[in-house]
Amino acid sequence: MNAAEELKQAMPAAVVSTGMLIDKPLAIIKKEEILKAAGKVKEMGFDNLSVITGIDYRDRFEVIYNFFSYKKKENLVLKVVLDHEAPSVDSVASIWKVADWLERETYDLVGIKFTGHPNLVRILLPDGWNGHPLRKDYDMETEQFVTMGEDGEDIVSTDGSNLLRRR
Amino acid sequence: METDELLLNMGPVHPATHGVLRFKLRMDGEIIRDCEIVMGYLHRGTEKLGEMKTYLQFIPYTDRLDYLSAMPNNYAYVKAVEELADIEVPLRAEYIRVLTLELNRIINHLVFMGSLILDLGANTAIMWGFREREKALQLYEMLCGARMTFSYMRIGGVREDLPEGFIPKLNDFIKDMEKRIVDYEQLINGNEIFLLRMKNIGVINADEAINYGMTGPSLRGSGVNYDIRKLEPYSIYPDIDFKACVRKECDSYARYLVRMDEMKESLHILRQVADTMPAGDIITTQKYGIAPMTGAPSAVMTYFPRIFTPPVGEVYTRTEAPKGELGFYVVSDGTTKPYRVKIRSPSFCNLVALPKMIVGLKIPDLIAAFGTIDIVLGDVDR
Amino acid sequence: MDSVTIDTTKIKPAKKKPETALEKLNDTGLINTLLAAREREGMILFSTVDQFINWGRFSSLWPVTSGLACCAIEMMAVTMAHHDLARFGMEAFRASPRQADLMFVAGTVTKRMAPRVKQLYEMMAEPKWVISIGSCANTGGPYIESYSVLKGVDNIIPVDVYVPGCPPRPEAWLYGIIQLREKIKSQGYGAKWGLNK
Ligand code: SF4
Repeated sequence: MNAAEELKQAMPAAVVSTGMLIDKPLAIIKKEEILKAAGKVKEMGFDNLSVITGIDYRDRFEVIYNFFSYKKKENLVLKVVLDHEAPSVDSVASIWKVADWLERETYDLVGIKFTGHPNLVRILLPDGWNGHPLRKDYDMETEQFVTMGEDGEDIVSTDGSNLLRRR
Repeated sequence: METDELLLNMGPVHPATHGVLRFKLRMDGEIIRDCEIVMGYLHRGTEKLGEMKTYLQFIPYTDRLDYLSAMPNNYAYVKAVEELADIEVPLRAEYIRVLTLELNRIINHLVFMGSLILDLGANTAIMWGFREREKALQLYEMLCGARMTFSYMRIGGVREDLPEGFIPKLNDFIKDMEKRIVDYEQLINGNEIFLLRMKNIGVINADEAINYGMTGPSLRGSGVNYDIRKLEPYSIYPDIDFKACVRKECDSYARYLVRMDEMKESLHILRQVADTMPAGDIITTQKYGIAPMTGAPSAVMTYFPRIFTPPVGEVYTRTEAPKGELGFYVVSDGTTKPYRVKIRSPSFCNLVALPKMIVGLKIPDLIAAFGTIDIVLGDVDR
Repeated sequence: MDSVTIDTTKIKPAKKKPETALEKLNDTGLINTLLAAREREGMILFSTVDQFINWGRFSSLWPVTSGLACCAIEMMAVTMAHHDLARFGMEAFRASPRQADLMFVAGTVTKRMAPRVKQLYEMMAEPKWVISIGSCANTGGPYIESYSVLKGVDNIIPVDVYVPGCPPRPEAWLYGIIQLREKIKSQGYGAKWGLNK
């Protein structure tokens, strides 16, 4: 029995279905239950949260958590499906410290809100950037420029006239 | 006595930040009370570009993530695509790959050693490190013509076969390097000042290190016996004799020592690979391939198709890059371009633990601890 | 003038075609003037102001330490022993832009970094020069389609020499530096302020 089925047995209410992602056990989790499921996963010995990925499928968002256990040498993949209008899911930053930045990055680039995150602000792009670049409907035409304010913070605008030499 | 807190800005242009990273430090006199890391000054949108390029076109972009070790980046990406499309790689290609990967590990650690000690205020080590790096780069130039951005891996194999006279040159390099590592150790390891700056600085214990997502040599310096080459063996690593280098001390010095040991281990691997290099194809002829052209002037002509479509699906693969776990999450929707490429970069995740390590220490210790987690900004910001 | 170590007693003003290395040196440019001055016991120096000031400028350019991306690693390689930037009198990388007169824009200039690069340039004292290294700094390079990369650093600051490549080989760097030296040599010293051309 692989880890995903184990999880399903332990929390039948939370797991929608199980399967395989090439060679890694995969469990699709209900959106509301992710925090509980993550706690259970940690108990099961998956101490390393490798990566959090957010994917825009045009009609829905998926958030994917890849776990690895150094003790059992096993993989586990959790997946949450979110609706496209207001994608939000509970943050797991209270369990894995690394999730703090991974979730901020996912918020920044894909635009998924992680409720309960201690400090959900943009991490790679400056505050005030318009849009989330990894969404499929991101506007690649409009150029946005960054200038520096008095105190060294970034100011984003579409007007680069005080940055560019000629236009 | 009550003192006011001072907000100190370091970077994004600062000689000791290895690129464009910015620290916002809250200082109480000399002591760091809080450290906020601001990044994104090198955010180039690689993941978005991945969606705009074909599978083959994306390979050069992986070079530019962690530009000190471009080969492992190449490899991690092609490995993900190969797993996605279920492509088998010929044995000789795997050997050549491992050869280039381990050579790159040495280059990476040489630059690490040099820049760490430069940050601590000494110049010799970086001169020495770059001297040997130059020799290794000459090997790469023989192989693929580039010094830093190789784009040498191809889906299903490698771009070119080993040129004539490569293996003897490699053996010379290995012999030379063995002596040099002894030199480095004599120069650095016993140095009083170096030890004072490194020992018991930037301590993080194993459980915390795992929880903060540290991987690679930085994690092994905290006593976690792990190495993806051992835990989830890929390529020809199962057939090769090597050990994961682990230190128990959890401090900056341990992380430094792990990397020095890894250089020796890599030389050991290189020697085995050079001795047992099999003959055969360097790129797959299977499934997606076209039959090898007879009498073709070079291997490039017998080529894997430039435009290829893997089946619908998604895959996550992790590899042991010199800086830690490098993973690619690739989603295919059955077209010629990836639907989504997510890069799990080791530098990004290793950096999470830095504030934890240095709170309560002084600014010079920040530089020392920062140097030993060995990050590259291209890899952090992507 | 005592630091000139060539034995000047052996040098005659060159009449015939110069043959030996010393004669050739004697025949060219500023060194001739200096040596002539030496013969007159260091009292008088004949040169054009342009020639003299430019000689001072191009012989010891001090770059500011500002690596941006991959190309900055090649910058380190250029300064190290193998390629040895010290030959051009410019191994003194300055951490402060106030003390520097040359800026290598080595790497990708992202939108977020652009105002900082510009500020760095503005903080340098005149006269100052900029070498743009690598396709990224020249035009945006491989990242030209990206949403967060500036399409060429010459959009924000004036550039003197462009060095193509991704990354340019150290030899290309050195060639770029030599080109800049030529440029400085051929300029009137007031050209930066629009005085003469
Ligand atoms: S030109 Fe190439 S090597 Fe240089 S910074 Fe740009 S991508 Fe990197």
